[in-house]
Amino acid sequence: MENEEDDRPASARRTLTLRNSAARQVAINFMPSRQLSYNTLRLRRTNSEHNALLEDVCDAPGGQDEDKRADLIVRELEQHQRLMEDNPESEELRREALRDLPQGLTMKRHVRAKLSASVSLRSKRRPLSMTKRLKYRFGFAVKRFRERFRDFTFSIELWYEAIRKIEGHFGSAVGSYFYFLRWLFAMDLVLAVCVLSFVLAPQVLHEQGANSTSVPWAFIDLISGQGSFEDSLLFYGHYHDGDISSPGPLTYNLPFAYFFTMVCLYLACFAVLCYRDISSPGPLTYNMPFAYFFTMVCLYLACFAVLCYRTAYSYRRNFIETAGGVNHAFANKLFCGWDFGIVTQQAAALNATSIYNEFKELLSEQNKMQESASLCTRIGQKLANVVVTTLVIGAIVALEYGLWQLLSAEVKVANWEVIISVIITAGVALCPLMFNLIVKLEFYNPRTAVYVTLARTWLLDVGTLMLLLFYWARSEASCWETSFGQEVYRLVILDAIVSLFILPVIEGLRALFYHKFNPTGKAPEFNIAYNSLTLIYNQAALWFGVLFSPLLVVCVTLKFLCLFYVKRECALRACQPARKVWRAAQTQTVFYMLVTLSLFTTLFGIGSLFFWSSSQECGPFRSYAFVYEVVSEGVLRLSERPTTRRVLAFIVRPGAVAFLLLALCVCVYYVRARSRAQRSMVRLLRQMLLLQAKDKEFLLHAIAKVSNGEWLYSPRTPTEGPDSHTWKYLNEVRKPSNAGFHFDASRLAGTRPHSLAFDTWPAEQVHDDGDTDSSFSWQGSSNYLNQKGEESAQKRWL
Amino acid sequence: MGNKVVTFTEQQLEDYQDCTFFTRKEILRVFKRFREVNPDLVPKRMTENQAHTIAVPVEEIEKLPELKENPFKRRICQVFSHDGSGNLTFEDFLDMMSVFSEAAPRDIKAWYAFRIYDLDDDMYIGREDLLEATRLLTKGELHPQERDEIVASVLDEADVDGDGRLSFMDFEHVVVRAPDFLSTFHIRV
Repeated sequence: MENEEDDRPASARRTLTLRNSAARQVAINFMPSRQLSYNTLRLRRTNSEHNALLEDVCDAPGGQDEDKRADLIVRELEQHQRLMEDNPESEELRREALRDLPQGLTMKRHVRAKLSASVSLRSKRRPLSMTKRLKYRFGFAVKRFRERFRDFTFSIELWYEAIRKIEGHFGSAVGSYFYFLRWLFAMDLVLAVCVLSFVLAPQVLHEQGANSTSVPWAFIDLISGQGSFEDSLLFYGHYHDGDISSPGPLTYNLPFAYFFTMVCLYLACFAVLCYRDISSPGPLTYNMPFAYFFTMVCLYLACFAVLCYRTAYSYRRNFIETAGGVNHAFANKLFCGWDFGIVTQQAAALNATSIYNEFKELLSEQNKMQESASLCTRIGQKLANVVVTTLVIGAIVALEYGLWQLLSAEVKVANWEVIISVIITAGVALCPLMFNLIVKLEFYNPRTAVYVTLARTWLLDVGTLMLLLFYWARSEASCWETSFGQEVYRLVILDAIVSLFILPVIEGLRALFYHKFNPTGKAPEFNIAYNSLTLIYNQAALWFGVLFSPLLVVCVTLKFLCLFYVKRECALRACQPARKVWRAAQTQTVFYMLVTLSLFTTLFGIGSLFFWSSSQECGPFRSYAFVYEVVSEGVLRLSERPTTRRVLAFIVRPGAVAFLLLALCVCVYYVRARSRAQRSMVRLLRQMLLLQAKDKEFLLHAIAKVSNGEWLYSPRTPTEGPDSHTWKYLNEVRKPSNAGFHFDASRLAGTRPHSLAFDTWPAEQVHDDGDTDSSFSWQGSSNYLNQKGEESAQKRWL
Repeated sequence: MGNKVVTFTEQQLEDYQDCTFFTRKEILRVFKRFREVNPDLVPKRMTENQAHTIAVPVEEIEKLPELKENPFKRRICQVFSHDGSGNLTFEDFLDMMSVFSEAAPRDIKAWYAFRIYDLDDDMYIGREDLLEATRLLTKGELHPQERDEIVASVLDEADVDGDGRLSFMDFEHVVVRAPDFLSTFHIRV
């Protein structure tokens, strides 16, 4: 349009475009979709867009003072009934709407003051019923508590400055590793507290009376977990199997029981235990097998739930919400390439170079796209991928087999167990590097390559732990649980030596080498994938080991604590920001997924072990033949209750289980079918959205013309020359190409093909239409528009 | 904590809490950062008026470490400034930090990102805006012809309605689906 108005003075043109855009916004505001009633989410979204558009209306005149603009916004908001009620829900809604206003804070405060004044004016002062008052009071209390809690979590936020500094140096990708580390540390801390208070403390209290014989210990015991450590609080075998009863007066045990009861309220699973404790006659007792069993099971399940939730949240945020059918490679790079968190000059320069390089790559890729690879090469590449993957999986299986042979070999060497653990640790530390090299032989794009490496390494780690678990469970050791606990303990300790001492030294040497001898070569970078995998491995070892070595959780927590500081120093002193921008968001989700998967595998392994016979010589379950009998005999007392027994026996019959499985299959099938249907629906809707966007653009174009008075039979059009609006309309809007596409669009969208129906729509009718509940702003804005229109029309005629 | 000097009135804090995505302590932390920029100009106690009248000049705001290296720093200040000049009052600054904070939802972030990339402030990201943004991002290292190609590709991908420029809807369509948008459009206080 601008082309045709070039003959007008610049100022007039500017007013015209402003006026155009204002008219567009008003038109958009009055589209039917904006007038629907809302649910919360919709309100959120509409409000933000709505007001974003509203802002333009306000901005256009320029000289309006703030008060009037605030008034305008308040009036807009007042039209939503649900916002204006005088109760906590709509107050919450009002807050949300305020937060989502894309306006300056000063303006928001204006609006807020006016809005609350308006609300209190409107609210009918009628006496509240008792239940309502209670409800409101409860609502406010919850809100206040939530705010307090947020404030509190903010003030205990750990390592805030440190992570911020690292993020400033290296960008958000490396920062996300530290967030992952911190998250794991916090979770382990909670775990440690639970284990200490429910399992360890009663045991310590129990032992207080008995005089312990102290065996002198050697340094190697600290690593191997044998010798004097074997029969200690560290391992499963040491724990008492009976009730711990107070010898003296009740007061001695009461605080403990009280604390225990309180926590029971939160962990519903403990309810059974409480019932038993309180109802049992005589002095209060603390049943050690129960505590051990339930604490562990509850912790595992709670962790599993937390992890599942976390993974699902992250997955939704980073995969589902961002799943677009279209690939915006260039646009993404341009709009999301810059990491706003960067603060150092060096990192900024590197970020700029990396964006430059990636643009270059994208351009060359785009040019290459024309000559796409032939079918043969593609099949060859796929085949190569399959072959290499098979080889790698074969290698992993071979490694596990070798390990099994090594474990079962009868060797009489001192500290043979320690040597085996060293071998395993070395394997776990070195194999990721090997996999990293191998994946270069394959034909994946870089991101898939990272995922493939992660998956293989995870398979190796968890496979090794699983193998160890089953090796010891099958062995004839007198107390295999303790042996497995020792094994995992050794792995954790040895890995601590590797990641706390050896790796930092290597990284330091690498940095020294780079600075002294080879400053032009490849700068040492912080390897996020490798480091995160170490964390995942440790966490997996903890999942496997915590049942058999309760104190392991303390070890791992301490280790994560040290690891944070060591890694921070490593990153800040010995590493350079990465040349290639690492895509953090989605990979982070993959890490959470791997942790969840390892916990799932653990649950599977340990669950099946519960049906395996437990050791008869040691541990808290030594009085039961199988671990599951803690529930079946200890709590439910099935042998005394034949009815319960029969019901349970019926439930676990193969027929019932098969039926359950079948029902599950049907459910899964149903959900899957639904998701597929929804996916195709989404595709359809997306296409429709595109068409609608084109539609809207076209209509807005037409509306803008109407409000400018540029119309077919405008009384101000003196002639029908090529300068006139009629001529322009006929040539621009009704171009054959435009009409054709519009016809198609409307047919697809299911509207009448008579697309230019409002050709003959008189302008007055629009006024009548808008005269509903939202009359104010239509009248207001249209008046204002008319005013502006006359002004600029005058300018034009001058 | 040592909150001997009360920086804001209770009413102000409540207002700020309702209008931003911050908790009280975060608001105070933001104020600390703001005051560090120019301790002489910004008093320790903010009265009702001072919070939106005392403006720190844009040249000083740009020296904040969070903004110093940002290629769009001038534009960011302009977008959040109450009068468009780039000078920020405390309320403007708080608003900015709130938008860049982790708790701000995607569409608010998208709206402000749109304003920032719309360098000439005409409510559309046009060709010129895109060319300039590409230049700023790569510190002017790309060849002009390459930049043309990139901008053409961006428009090709993102311009849904085919008018040769990106409206807010087009922009939002791209950015809401970008996996890294949330993690990169984020400044830690």
